[in-house]
Amino acid sequence: MRARVALAAFALAVLAVPLLGREYYTILMLSFFAYGVALLGVNLLLGYTGLLSFGHALFIGLGAYAAAFLTGKFGVLHMEAILLAAAGGAVLVAAPVGALCVRYVKIYFGMLTLAFGMLFYSFLLKFYHLTGGDEGMRVLQPFLLGFDLSQTPKVKFLTGPYYYYSAAVLFVATFAMWRIVASPFGLCLRSIRENPVKAESLGIGVARYRWWAFLISAAYAAVGGALLGPTVGQVDPGLTYWTQSGNLVFMTLLGGFANFFGPLLGAFVFIYLQDAVMSVVPYWRLIFGAILAALVIFVPGGLMGLVTGRGARPGIKAGRERAQ
Amino acid sequence: MILQARDLRKYYGEFCALDGVSLGVNAGEFVSVIGPNGAGKSTLINVLTGILAPSAGRVLFRERDITGIGPVRLARLGMARSFQLVSVFPELTVLEVLKVAVISRLGRGMRLFASLARDRRVTREALEVAELFLLAEHRNTPARQLPQGDKKLLDVASAFALHPQIILLDEPTSGVSTRDKNTVMQILVSASRRIGIQAIIQVEHDMDIVFGYSDRIIALHQGRILAEGAPEAIRANEDVVDMVIGRKDRAPIKRNPSPRRGEGEGERVAPGTC
Amino acid sequence: MLAHAINVLQSGVFHAAILFLVAAGLQLVFGVQRIFNLACGSFYALGAYAGVSAVSLLTGAGLPQHLFILALLLAGACLGAVGPLVERLLRFVYDRDETFQLLLTFAVVLMMEDITRILWGTSPRSTGGLYLLYGQVRALGVTVPVYNLIVIAAGLAIALGMGYMLARTQFGRIIRATAENREMSEALGVNMRAVYVKVFTLGTVLGTLGGALVIPATAAMSEMGIDLIVEAFAVVVIGGLGSMRGALAGALVVGVLRAVAISTWPELEMLLIYLIVIAVLVFRPRGLFGSAAA
Repeated sequence: MRARVALAAFALAVLAVPLLGREYYTILMLSFFAYGVALLGVNLLLGYTGLLSFGHALFIGLGAYAAAFLTGKFGVLHMEAILLAAAGGAVLVAAPVGALCVRYVKIYFGMLTLAFGMLFYSFLLKFYHLTGGDEGMRVLQPFLLGFDLSQTPKVKFLTGPYYYYSAAVLFVATFAMWRIVASPFGLCLRSIRENPVKAESLGIGVARYRWWAFLISAAYAAVGGALLGPTVGQVDPGLTYWTQSGNLVFMTLLGGFANFFGPLLGAFVFIYLQDAVMSVVPYWRLIFGAILAALVIFVPGGLMGLVTGRGARPGIKAGRERAQ
Repeated sequence: MILQARDLRKYYGEFCALDGVSLGVNAGEFVSVIGPNGAGKSTLINVLTGILAPSAGRVLFRERDITGIGPVRLARLGMARSFQLVSVFPELTVLEVLKVAVISRLGRGMRLFASLARDRRVTREALEVAELFLLAEHRNTPARQLPQGDKKLLDVASAFALHPQIILLDEPTSGVSTRDKNTVMQILVSASRRIGIQAIIQVEHDMDIVFGYSDRIIALHQGRILAEGAPEAIRANEDVVDMVIGRKDRAPIKRNPSPRRGEGEGERVAPGTC
Repeated sequence: MLAHAINVLQSGVFHAAILFLVAAGLQLVFGVQRIFNLACGSFYALGAYAGVSAVSLLTGAGLPQHLFILALLLAGACLGAVGPLVERLLRFVYDRDETFQLLLTFAVVLMMEDITRILWGTSPRSTGGLYLLYGQVRALGVTVPVYNLIVIAAGLAIALGMGYMLARTQFGRIIRATAENREMSEALGVNMRAVYVKVFTLGTVLGTLGGALVIPATAAMSEMGIDLIVEAFAVVVIGGLGSMRGALAGALVVGVLRAVAISTWPELEMLLIYLIVIAVLVFRPRGLFGSAAA
C-alpha cells in the first residue's frame, strides 16, 4: 500500500513539474524519462536475467540515430513512427548479436557486448558521410500524435507537449515491463539468473530465454535513445562509447538492481546529481566514481536496497558462490 | 523398458570414467546405483540425463535414442533429476521454485504478459507438490534460508513437479541427518506414487537406505558394472561387499515396509496416474 | 612500395610495444586475481602525463635533454606507487561477484579521469620536439625515428624479462601456481595478500611505463586512458586471457593491423580490430595462447 501511495505521489509530482515554471529542470526530466525507459531494459537483463552488458549504449545510440535519420534524412517526423522504427531496428540488430552473445556468460558476455558496442561506435565515427561522424546528426522537432508542432518554439515544445508525451512513454514502458517481470517468463528469467544448470534440468532453454530478454532490453534502450534525440536536437557517436554503457550499469546499481523501480530511481538521482555537481565543479566523474566505489563496497543493493532494508544484501549474488 | 543404456563409454583424455556400462530400468522399479567414489556414478547419471555426451554407446528412453540431447529436451520428454550438491534457486521462494517446474511442464514459459500471481493452475499444482514434500509451510521462504535438508527436498521436489516418467536422484539423502533419512525416503516414495512416476534411479551411499528401498541394485566399480540384482543377491555377493561396501557383517537384511512393495498387497506404482 | 610497408610495420610494432606493456599488466592481474582491471588504461594515461611533467621538471632542473628518456622511465616506475592504493580498494571486493569487481575498476577509471584533469588540465601535453632528439635512421628507403627503435627494444627487453621472471624466479613460480590454482597455492602456504599487492603493483607499473614511453610520439590527452583500455582489451582477447605470450602476440596483431588499416582504409581502423575480437570470442574464445578454462 505504501508503495502505491509513493508511486501515485511520484506520478503526480512528475505531472506537476512543468507547471512550476523552472524550464531548465523540466528539460532535465526529459533525460530522466529517456534513460528511465532504457534502464528498465538494462535491468531486465542485469537484475532479472543476471547478464551484465557493457555495450547497451549501442542500442541507445541506435534509437537516437534512428530519430536523426528519420527526421533529418527521410523527413519522417511522426514520433510514433520514430519510436517504432527505433524498437524495430534494435530488435533487428539485437537478434543476431544476442544470439551470439547469450551463449556466453559472465565476463565473456560482457566482453562481447563491449566489442559490439565499440564496433558500432567506430562505425558511427568513421563513416562520416553516412552518419556525420564526430559532429553527429541533427534531430528535428517531431510531430506528436499527428500534431504538427514545428511552429512551437523549442523550449515551449520541450517543456510542454513533448514533456507529457515522454512521460507517457515512460509510464507505458514501465507498465509493460512490470507485466513482463511478473509473468511466468519473468520467473523463468530469474531462475536462469539463480542457477542456469538447474533451470535447464527443469526443461528451461536458458539461451532462448536470455535471447528474448536481450531483444526486449535492446528495444527498450532504443526507445529511450529515440526519446533523447529531440531533447538535445543532436546525436553524436559519443552516446555509444563504452563508458556510456558503464554509466548505464552505474545508474542501475545506484538505484538498486534487485528492485523493479531501482533503475528508475537510479536514473533520476544520477541525472540530477550530475547536474548539481556540474554546476559547482566540472569534476563530476571524480565524485561519481567515489559514489560508485562506495556503492559497490558498502551498499551493493543501491538506494532501493537502503529503503527496503536490504542494502547490503541485494538479493543478487553479491558473493562468489554463484552456482554455474 | 523405460530407460536403457547400451555399452556406455566415457573417456576424459586417457582416463576412462565409464567402460562399457549397459543397464535397463523397467516401469515400476526402484533401482539404486552404488559404488565407491570415482566408480563413475556421477558420470553415469550425467550421461543418462543428457548433460554429458558419452564417448560411445547409446541411451534410450522409451525406445527413443536420447544420447546427448541435453537436459532441456530430456526434461520435456519426461526425465527429471536432482543433484548431488543441493541445487535450487536461492533467491526464489519455495513456491516460486516449484512454479518454475510447473511452468516449464505446462509450456507457459513464454507468456510475457500473463500474470503469474493470477495463474491459479500453476499455483495450485506447485502447492500440491509442496504439500507432498512437507514444504508447504515454507512456501514463501527464500530457498537460501531453508535448512539444508529442506533445500535437498526442494531440489528433489522441483524435479518431481515436472511429473516426469522417470526420475534420477543423485544422493537424495546426502547431507540429511540419519534420523531424517527414512523420512525423506518415505516422502519420495509416496510422492512418486501420487504423481505417477514410473521408475526411480538413485545414486546412494547409505546402504541401509539402498537395501531398504530398492527393487534392484547396480554396483559400479571403476566404470564397469560389478554386479547387478535384487538386494539379497547383492548382499551375498562377496565382490560387492569387499570392494563397494567395505564391511563384512552378514546380519540379515533389514527391510523397511516399502510402500512400493506394499507388504502383502502386491501394490505397484500405477503408471501415469496422480 | 616496400618502403611504405616497412614504415607501416615499424609504426605498428612501435604501437605494439606500448600495447604489450599495458596488456601485460592487464594479463598479470587477470591471470592471478581473475579481475579485469579497466583502470589499466587510466594508469597508462597517468604515466603519460607524469612523463611529460617529469621531462619538463628534470630538464628544467638541469638534466641534459638527451637523457629525457630516463625521466620518462623514472616517471613510469614511480607512478606505479598508485598500484598499492588501488589494490587496497579492490581488496574490498575480492570475495564478490566479478560484476562488482568490474564495476569497482570502472569507478577507478572515472575517478582517475578527473584526477588527471585536475592535475594537468584538459589541453594536451607533449614533450615537444624531443621525439626526434635521438635522430632518425635511414634504411631501405624508410626513415625511422630512433626513439621508436629504443621503445621497441625496451618492450622486447621487458617481455624477455617477464618471461624469465615467470619461468625462473620464485616469484614467477608463485604467480604461475596461483594463476593455475588459487586454492591449492593458498593451502601450500602462499601469502595471497602479499602476492596480490605485488602482482597488482607490477601490473600498474607496466601500464604507467607504457604511458610514459609513448609520450614523445603522441601527446598526453584526456581520453587516452579510456581509449586505450579498449585496445588493450582487444589485445588480451586475441592473445588469450591471462597469457603473457598472448599479450605479446595480441599486441603485435592489434598494433600492426591497426597501422595497416590506417594506411589503407582509415575508416576501418578500430572497426577491423573489433570484428576480429568478436570473431575470436565466437570461434576461439581462449584466443591464441589462453588456457581453455579461462
